[in-house]
Formats: sequence, structure tokens, C-alpha cells
Amino acid sequence: MRTDSVNYMGESPPETQGQAGTLTPWEETTVVGKPLPRVDAYERVSGSAVYTQDIVLPGMLYGAILRCPHAHAKVKHVDTGKAAKMPGVHGIITDSTPGANIPWYHGAKGAMSRLFDPHCRHEGEEVAAVAAESPHQAWDAAKAITVEYERLPFVTDIEDAMNSGAPPVHEGGNRDGDSSVYQRGDTAKGFAEADVVLEETYRTSFEIHTPMETHASVAQWDGNRLTVWDSTQGVFAVQSSLAESLGLPLSSVRVACHYMGGGFGSKLDLSKHTVIAALLARMAARPVKVTLTREESFLCVGNRPANIIKLKAGVKKDGTLTALELTNLGSGGAYPASSSVGYLVRDLYLCPNVHVDETNVFINAGTARAMRAPGFPQCAWALEQTMDALAEKIGVDPVEFRVNIIPTVSQVRNNMPFTSTGLKRCLLEGAKAFRWKEARERPRQDGPIRRGVGVAAGMWGWEGETVSTAIVKLFADGSVNLNIGASDIGTGTKTVMAMVVAEELGVPLEKIQIEYADTGTTSYAPGSGGSQTVVANAPAVRKGAVEVRNQLLELAADELKRPVGELVLKDGAIQTTAEPIKKVPISDLQILQRRQMIVGVGYRDRGPEGKVALPFVAQFAEVEVNIRTGETKVVRFLAAHDSGRALNSLTFENQVFGGIAMGIGFATTEQRILDSRQTGKMVNANWHDYKIPTAMDVPVDQTCISIDPHDKECNNTGAKGLGEPATIPAAAAIANAVYHATGVRLKQAPITPMQMLSLLAQQQEGGNR
Amino acid sequence: MIPWFTYSRPNSLKDAVKQLSVPGTRLHAGGTDLLGCLRDGVVAADKLVSISHLAELRGITRTGNGSVRIGALTTLTEIAEHPYIMEHYAALSEGASSAASPQLRNQGTIGGNISQRPRCWYFRGDFHCLRKGGEACYAVAGENQFHCIVGGQSCFIVHPSDTAPALIALEARVRITGPQGTRTLPLESFFVGPQKDFTRENVLDAGDILTEILLPAPAANHRSSYRKVRARGAWDFALAGVALSVRFSNGIVQLARIVLSGVAPVPWRVREAEKIVTGKEIDDETASQAAAACVKDAVPLAKNEYKLHLVRGVVEEALLAMKQA
Amino acid sequence: MEKEKIDAAQESSPGITRRGFLQTVGIGTLEIAVVGAVAPAVQAETRQRGNLVPLTLKVNGQRHELHVEPRWTLLYVLREKLELTGTKPGCDRGECGACTVLIDDRPRYSCLTLALEADGHEITTVEGLMHGEQLGPVQEAFVQEDGFQCGFCTPGQVVAAEGLLRHTANPDIGEIRTGMSGNLCRCGAYGHIFKAVQRAAILRK
Repeated sequence: MRTDSVNYMGESPPETQGQAGTLTPWEETTVVGKPLPRVDAYERVSGSAVYTQDIVLPGMLYGAILRCPHAHAKVKHVDTGKAAKMPGVHGIITDSTPGANIPWYHGAKGAMSRLFDPHCRHEGEEVAAVAAESPHQAWDAAKAITVEYERLPFVTDIEDAMNSGAPPVHEGGNRDGDSSVYQRGDTAKGFAEADVVLEETYRTSFEIHTPMETHASVAQWDGNRLTVWDSTQGVFAVQSSLAESLGLPLSSVRVACHYMGGGFGSKLDLSKHTVIAALLARMAARPVKVTLTREESFLCVGNRPANIIKLKAGVKKDGTLTALELTNLGSGGAYPASSSVGYLVRDLYLCPNVHVDETNVFINAGTARAMRAPGFPQCAWALEQTMDALAEKIGVDPVEFRVNIIPTVSQVRNNMPFTSTGLKRCLLEGAKAFRWKEARERPRQDGPIRRGVGVAAGMWGWEGETVSTAIVKLFADGSVNLNIGASDIGTGTKTVMAMVVAEELGVPLEKIQIEYADTGTTSYAPGSGGSQTVVANAPAVRKGAVEVRNQLLELAADELKRPVGELVLKDGAIQTTAEPIKKVPISDLQILQRRQMIVGVGYRDRGPEGKVALPFVAQFAEVEVNIRTGETKVVRFLAAHDSGRALNSLTFENQVFGGIAMGIGFATTEQRILDSRQTGKMVNANWHDYKIPTAMDVPVDQTCISIDPHDKECNNTGAKGLGEPATIPAAAAIANAVYHATGVRLKQAPITPMQMLSLLAQQQEGGNR
Repeated sequence: MIPWFTYSRPNSLKDAVKQLSVPGTRLHAGGTDLLGCLRDGVVAADKLVSISHLAELRGITRTGNGSVRIGALTTLTEIAEHPYIMEHYAALSEGASSAASPQLRNQGTIGGNISQRPRCWYFRGDFHCLRKGGEACYAVAGENQFHCIVGGQSCFIVHPSDTAPALIALEARVRITGPQGTRTLPLESFFVGPQKDFTRENVLDAGDILTEILLPAPAANHRSSYRKVRARGAWDFALAGVALSVRFSNGIVQLARIVLSGVAPVPWRVREAEKIVTGKEIDDETASQAAAACVKDAVPLAKNEYKLHLVRGVVEEALLAMKQA
Repeated sequence: MEKEKIDAAQESSPGITRRGFLQTVGIGTLEIAVVGAVAPAVQAETRQRGNLVPLTLKVNGQRHELHVEPRWTLLYVLREKLELTGTKPGCDRGECGACTVLIDDRPRYSCLTLALEADGHEITTVEGLMHGEQLGPVQEAFVQEDGFQCGFCTPGQVVAAEGLLRHTANPDIGEIRTGMSGNLCRCGAYGHIFKAVQRAAILRK
């Protein structure tokens, strides 16, 4: 379900004790929940924010990586002689360079490759790297390295890879271990009880994350100590993997990343180019920056696996699901990486009989990485279209059908209760705001432009690591420094964390300084991904702030000779609640002036104990299909989210719209295309041929509704995750809307004009409906 | 990274022609297509000869007889926003505004748009294809969903321009200055298909510079349009498109030109479809017949059969829209 | 400027085209002389330095004298030579818009513009939209409407919006979408970007 490395290996850190340890979510808030602009907006709009790619260190060199141009090949010989003599070149590393033999891609039996493994199993595998005075010189030199390859037979198609005669990506065949099977109840019995059974095969395409800032690392050595600025979602994950790769203690490896230009899962793990930057820097005794080109970003830093999903579903006339059976064949690429999609089928709807059988195969293509809700949009594509079809078969409205089969417990977790389940409200309140009934019952037009509406639901299935430590420091003038290890990958993490501090300490946002995402100076936080950032960090931040307040009140009680219980912190001053009323600005406290700082540390709880906190979503799409040309336009979209409390309604909405945009890409344009029958190479490794949505592809009419179930148990803020659910059902909602508009069921994503026209033609011939 | 080259900026057209006659030189106008090609290794250049500053090659002027002269360096934005072009040559304005993105239209020139290299991903990518001097066209057995359905032979590119079909529909002529002097020819004869020569897309030889486009004076009761279908809502080349130029008399089509984009290695004029609508009113039936005629000779590849439906659909839509306009 | 020249001097031509390099040293110098924009003293330096040619760039109202390789893009020179890193490299191939700058008030991709081609034009980067440490109106509008997420495409979006509004002071929503369609945002902040441009139109007045 989640393929990024789990960084925190040991026990959870100690939990905050005492009052701060037993906080329950706020009843009322003054700052949290408001639509406030970001605390770092100035830097991001002025151009002054320094991203990894902007870093220039004194004496810094630039790296370039030579990559295998073949889908499957063995490097027979590398000649760096000419490149080494080129102007500006300071170092070249290859597989034979001492220290470069670093194991990479770990499977059940250990490492399956190494940094510059001469056996290249996909286009874009690393063969050599150069450091030079300028980027141009580095690239010129990399191109001047001559490599002799022995080309090997390849396989890049998932189904072909399963054939007995398929070229093996690894010795022992292309199956990545045994199929994983999940079973509850008896599906045969369930299907026998059903009034309607539907079975269909759905296919999704490989997608590429393509964050706006390509992956980049700057490495600098001071003796045996290494500092790396890396464009990453998780500095601590990179630190630990890098330390392990280089055989260094964690204390010798500092990883920092402040402004970060998007990741979507592709920047959770350590990448080869980061290690390469470190090796080149050590060789040249100069700092080295390695920036991946846009083309490289398509080949070797992850993808969303494509899946072939066979889904069989049984339902009774009364709308009860009797059985779900999912078979998934997917590929995480050339090395072990999950292509699992089965979660939603097991947990989104009440169903006693479920069978899931998933197989991952190796192909000669880049290795997958978690991509925004890994596995979930693929499964929603199949499941939510199936639900739509079932509802139609039994003559029930698709919203109503779903509303009646919502569980309050997690069926994959032995029926452990959810802390809250807002899905019913998401569906009903979303439908109302969308004017669903009205749009749904509009008579189908006969003209060339067909309109339709569709709904899809979803949930995210991972609770997160739920460990983190936050440090809140109160300065002598009442302003604050907040120290968190989390990255702000564009979701507004810094802003909402500062808002939590502001809520507790009454400090205005502009008086909160934030130190973050630096293993050398900040406290631990898990990677910002998997919708866990708020869930893992905000509770710790709140506890840290409460710790500060408690200490402050205790110190003030001594100084003012009043009981702690009679003191409150308000508007930057200590105030008494009993007569005689007294108000002392924080900065007037003598004890604070002596100490100059009060430090509060907040630790995140494990848990909730015995329950599971997960976000839910229902999304509604309206489309226009031009049946003459196959063009599909998304004209209206509404998303209703139960992510618990929205800590900032402005950034919340923004993130939801972003998830919708990504879903529109999944549904209508995005697919990696490999030249499977000739070379195995990617033909669309650029943003012209790999089409992500533009301003013309997202509807102007977008609505975001936050359904807050006032969850008291999920954590002390009442907030659940948002990043993943925002994109999970979006594509399926569009597909259902297209079906409503045209009567054509989209089994394959994306819905291009190519596919749409072929299906419409089949429909004309009586083949489809 | 773009490989190394030298750069010169001659101060006259004559000097530019002279410099471009040397092997290894490439013409730089707007540069949007050229720099991409250099970066991807599609073409090589020892030296770029930039004409971007030659003011006499830029701008839109009306001549005494009512015809319009468009300098080859005029940007797509300048054309798309020009009131006279919008009014009398709508197909061109629509073609120019549907190409690329605002930034590229601000930089890309009309001359460059007409003579840009194909967008075939095998040609642009790291594949030694026929057009680049290799042995075979990879599209034949490969990923050919965006390739041509007509006019292909040994190479199956589509011509990427949105303005060229419009200009051909509008009966444009082009002026070319080269080492042998200046010549003018109909834009329709400017393009070269693969059956004639699969290493080039047009008649420009070494040292030739396309300097201007000439449009005939606008006729009465004339309407034109360009409609483009693409996979993405903006910033995308045509899957297929159609430029129409029609002269009406009392609702009857007197003269029609129908030119397709996205279906052939050159902008594809369909005379048979033109004949079908000429002398008739445009109605559902004539539109449908003309649309069918547009794909009569088409032979799709394994993955682009959809273009048969698409071309019919878009031609039908465009013809009926013109009737309603 | 002296440091700049030294940096640039280290970037001589690659060995792979050494023959072509030797051949073209003289030609390059001669041709630049034809343009007539170079003083004789600079020509001598150019000859000595081989493949670098002099260039005057006007960026955000300031003149910069530099020496560049002909293949250097405007994006590269802005970021690496003038240290104006607000302009972002998203693709380096004219397919994303992160590098958008204004050239004579019109948005263009600096990654698809040779630095030499910017000679004689007014270039405006995101830094040029600031009033000292104060945000300009378009930037302020992006803050208020939260018109970004990760922020890497944002300088390009802001400059594209500025270019749109300089040309069309009161764009309708259709014009905004079209005007912003040359700037990708992978975070998908388009909805808020539309609002930001609408607000910017008001704030600019």
C-alpha cells in the first residue's frame, strides 16, 4: 500500500505527559480553521524562496549522469578517457570507481542491483557520472563518455512479462514473489446469494509524478561530515538511507530541504543522484550539485504503476453487497515496488465476502514510487465504476446506493471502529450542494454535445507513522520559534503548524519563526506524504505550545504570587481570572527576561488506541462529451471531504482542487507510453507528449466542502489527512459522468478522444451497451 | 543541454542568405522549434544565423489591391490579435491562436510555424529513424496513435502546423529568397511529402529563407474557420483539425476549400470534399458526405483508426458551424 | 563583473567540437563586429577568450555587461550569471512556463530564448515586479488568494499574469484561462490562480 521507506524503526518516542498529554480537540477556535494566507507566501511569490535547485555554494561543481539508453542491456566497457580530459572536468565515477559499489534496490533476498550496476534493466539506469565547473561542461563530458552495450531481449508490457517465454528481467522470472491473497467470508456463497453479478476488467496507465522542480541534490563534505541539500519530502528518510549507503553515523550526515518544488511521492526516498552527488563531491573535494533534467525525471524517479484489475461484484436487489472479488496484475517496474490496489475493495463498503488476489511483475521499465494515494485511484477507477453499474442494474440512485453500505468499522482491521465516518454526510451534503438529483434527472440530449454527472467515493487507508517531536521556543519578547522536522511540500504545513501555535499562545502568525526540515537542527518528523503530515505533526506542535504556556503560567504564578489556576495567557499577556484583575505582558515577566527563553517539547501520541482514524471523500463531476470528436471536458466539480477539522480552509480548498486536477490528468490525458514492440524505450518522456492538465483542463466551477464530523478521538486537533483523498475518486467520478452522458463505460484510463471515439463507434454498431 | 555553436546576426537579408548557404548553418527566427531540436539532437548546427531582428520581415500590411502581406517574422500573437486578420481571415487568426501557448505565440513566427519540424516522437526522441538518416520508420510497427492516416509512405509523420492548413484554405502564397534570387509560389506547393522526399518537409533549400506570406484580397460573402481537436485543452498539437474557406452566394456555396491538419505529412487539401459542397447549401447531408470524402482514401495504422471518426466528426461540425455562422 | 568573466572563461568549448571551435573563433568575432554593437576593446577580449561573445542585457531596468557562450539560454544567464534565481527551470525545453519572463512586456520562455537574442530588449523577471521589499500587486493577489502550493511554478505564473494584465487590463475568466494556459502547475492550484489573476486586475488599478 505504501512503498516509501519507513524511517522510524524503533519504539515510539515518549509521549507528552500531564495536561498537554491529554488534550482533546478544541471546541472553539480563533485562529485554526480560518482562511489565512500562508506564512511563507512572500518568499514564494517574490522569488526569494531558495529551492534546492537555486543553491550555489562557493566552489560548487555541477554533476551530470550518463544513463543507459536501452530498455535492457549489459555494459561491456566504459571509456572515460576523452571525457576526463575535457575542460572543466573534475571527476568521473563509474561502477569501477572505488567506493561506488553501493547496493541498491532491495528484494526478499537482498540487494538486486548497485549504484552503477552494469546490468541495466531499464532505460535510464545509471552508468557513469561527471562533475565539472559548469552544467554545460558536465553534460558535454557525459556525452563524450563512450559505452559499449550488449543489448538484451526486453519486456515492457505487463501481460507479456507473465508469458513463459518472456525475457527475464531478473533471474528466476518476472513474478515478484507469490501473489498476495486476502480473503474474508466466502465469495462463492456471496455471488450465489446475489441478484445481480457484474464482472469487468479495468485498466489504468502508468503515470509519472513530474513535480515542477525536478529532483536535485547539493552535496558538501567537511572532512568526513556530509551536508546535503536535497529536494525531498522527508529529510530524515534521506539522512538514514544516505548514512547507510555511505557507512556513516547519522550524526555525520545532515540533510536539509526548505523550499521544495513538489514531490507527490517521488521524493520520499533516497535517490541515486543524491549518492552520486556525494561521491562526486568527495572525489573532487568541492561541493557538487546534481539536478535531474526533465527527461530524466520521467525515467528513473518513480511512477504510478499501471494495473489490470478484474473486478467481480454481487449485489442484492435491496442494495446489499454480497461479494467482491478483485484480481490485480500490476507492475512496479524493474525492481521490487508495490503495485497493490486492493485496499478500497476490502474496506470502503460493507461486504461480508471479499477475495483479493494481487500479482506484481517485473518489466524493463523504471521502478515505481508511491504516487499520491498509491493504488487507490486505480482501485477507485474499477470499484467506483462497478458501483455505478450495480446501482443502475438494481435501479437505485448511485448516491443512495452508496449511502446504505457505509461501514463504521474497518473491515480489514478486524472491524476496529473508525474514530469518525463522515462518508454518508459527504455523499448527502455533496449531492445537495451539487444539485445532483436535478442534474441526474435531466433528460439525455441527442445532439452532438452530451452532458452528464457522476459520483464516486473514497477513503484513504493508512493512518500514518503518528510519531513526531515538536519544539516550541518562546522568546523574551513574546514571539516564538517553532521547530519541526516536517517538510512543507506545498500543502501549507508551516502555515497550519504556526496557526496551531497561535491558537494556543495567542501570538500573531507574523511573530512565529519556523525552523523545519533539517536533520541537523530540527526534531524528528516522518516524511511529508501519505496524508500524514498534519496528523503526525500538528498534535505534537499543539502539545509543545501547551507545554510552553504551562511553564509560563507556572513561572508567572511564582512571580505574581497567584495560583496557576487563576492565570490565563491571552493576547501576549498573563491575565488573572480572579480579582484583583491583573494583566502583565509576557515580556514584563522578570523570570523570562532572565532566562530569555522558554522551551516546550511536544511528542505525538501513538494511536488512537483501539480505533482507527481515516479520511473519507465523495466527489461529483459534470462533463461534456462531444460525440463527434471524442473530446471530454470536465465542466463542474464538487468535492465533499471528511478530513476532520480543516486547519486552514484556504489551503484546504487549494489542496482539494489540486487533487481534482491530478484526477483529471489520470482520467483524461496522462499515460507513460513505451515503445513496447521495438525498443522498450519511452516515447513521451517530456511534458509535450506526457500531458498534464493545463489551466484549460480544470473547470472554473469547482467547489470544496469540508465535512467536519467533530472527531474527538483521532488526535488532539481533530484533523485527519487530506492530500490523498483529494485525488482518490476524482477520475472515477469523471468516468461515471461520461457514462451518464453517453452510455459508454470507460474501462481504460485515460479517456482520450482516441478511446472515446472507438467506444462510441462500437456503441453505434450495437457493441457497447 | 544544447550543444555548442557559433552565432551570427547579419544585418541584411542578402547577407543572411549568403551565410546560410554554408553547410552546417541553421536559420534562427523565433527559435522555439530550433532550440528544442538542437537540445534533442534532432538537428545539428555549427552555426546559427539569426534573422530575428530584421524589421523588414516583420509585420502585417495591406497592399493597394487589398491583398495582405505578412512578414515571415510576424509572431503568432500578432497575427491572432490583428483586427483585420480576425475579420477577414478568421481561419488564420483561429489557427494562430490555437497553436502552442501564449508565451510560444509571443515568440514563434508565422514562418517558423509553417516550416517547423515534425513532432513525431520517434523523430524527436532518441531513435535513429528514417527521417534522421536511419533505416526505418519506427511508427510503422510502433506507437502510431498520433501519426498520419493518409499521404504516408515510408515515413508517417503528420504536419504539425495549425496555421498552414488555414493559409492554404485562404489561398496564400509564400515568397522565398535564396541564393538563386526570389520566387513566389502557392503555399500548397511549398510542402513536400515523404513519397517525394522523406528527409524534408518543404521546398526550402540551403540558403533559402521564407520571407513573407501573401493573402489575396478578401472576397465578399466569404467565411473561414479553423477547428482543432487535441488531447489536452491547451498547448497541444492537433489530433486532427480542419480549415475551411467558403464563399457563399444566397446561402449556396460558390467556392470551398477544405484543408485538414493532423492527418497527413503535409496540410491535406481534400478537393473531393470541396466538390461535394460546391453549388449546394450546407446541410446535414452535404456535411456528412463531405466529411466522409475526407477520409475516403485514408488507411489507418494499427493505433490511429480513431482518426477516421475524428476527421469525419470535426469536418461535419465545422461545416455545420459555418452554415450557422 | 570581473568574477563573472572569470567564471565564464572556465567554460570553454568541449573537446568534441574542438576542430569546429578553432575554426569558428575568428568567425564569431568577425560576425559580432558586423552587428556593430561591440567596441574594439571588447572584441580583443573576445578573441582571447575564444568562444565567448560580449552581450549587454537589460534586466529589471539594469544594464549588465557580460560574456556568454552563444548556446547559453536567457534562463541560464539570469540564474547562473546574474543570480536572479526567482526565474525557475522546470523543463528547459519550453514545456512548462516556470521560466517565464517578460520581454518587452510580453511573456516568453527564457529557456527557449538564447541570451544573445535578448540583446536590445527589456527583460522583466519576478524580482523586477517587486517595489523594494514590497510585493507588487500581482504578487500580493497571489498571496491573498493562495494562488500556489509548492511555489516552484509561481514566479512564472506571476510574471505570466503580469504580462496578461499589461495587455488586457480587465480579462474575463476565458481570457484568464487562455492567458495562463502556458504555465503548468502540477500541484493543480489553477482554481486559486484564476482568482488571484482576477484580484490582481483590481489591485493593479
